[in-house]
Amino acid sequence: MAFQSRRKFCYFKENSITEVDYKDVKLLRRFVNDQGKIMPRRVTGTSSKMHRKLVRAIKQARNIALMPYTNISTES
Amino acid sequence: MRYYESLYVVNPNFEQDRLDEVMKTVTDKMGEYGFSIINHRLWGKKRLAYAIQKHKYGSFILLHFETETVENLNQFQRFMILEKPILRNQTVVLDTRPEVQKEDEIVDESKEAVASSDSGSEKLEEQKSEEETKEVVAEESGETEDEVVKEEASIEKESVEEEISETVEEKVEETVEVEEKEEVQE
Repeated sequence: MAFQSRRKFCYFKENSITEVDYKDVKLLRRFVNDQGKIMPRRVTGTSSKMHRKLVRAIKQARNIALMPYTNISTES
Repeated sequence: MRYYESLYVVNPNFEQDRLDEVMKTVTDKMGEYGFSIINHRLWGKKRLAYAIQKHKYGSFILLHFETETVENLNQFQRFMILEKPILRNQTVVLDTRPEVQKEDEIVDESKEAVASSDSGSEKLEEQKSEEETKEVVAEESGETEDEVVKEEASIEKESVEEEISETVEEKVEETVEVEEKEEVQE
């Protein structure tokens, strides 16, 4: 029963991205789950250096209401 | 010289004239504090991830500026918070000097941004509604397209979405009633 796991890779290194922009919501959405929580590095495979930049960008986007803090909708 | 990027959200109900007014007051204040502006443009009207002062949408304005002294930054921040039409603002330090954007590029970008935000909201609507209601949504959007032309696009988007959600709710209610009737007959 050989279970081959998919090899993890750093998305930013693969695409040679050096800076993360908080206005690029389309990119940031890849690294949060449905609830809007930031996914851990062990799941996404992002390098330590880029993960720190990513986290900062997501938090900045949340502050300016481009991304949700949480996706539990309060509208009804 | 240090470079900064400030993004601020303005009340979505403002027309172009009043938006220009807000941008002018900010520009004047920048001159007062001794900041020199590199870019100052409307980024587009977007749906907010969460409601701010009960507004679901916001007009985003992007501002790039440079300054040598850091003293007035706190005062600028204070001014932005106290300014009533501005719902939210955030200033970020940039490493390199931002490029000066031409007017032609700005127009194209804002259009794309609006289109992408539209498709995003539609996707959410689709996820919520079931397969049966999807057809209704498609029909509804076809009808409302004519109306959109008549009135202003920004306000229409909200109303269209509301209409869609209302019709979806009505449809669901109808189906529930039909099911109840069938049960009674049996």
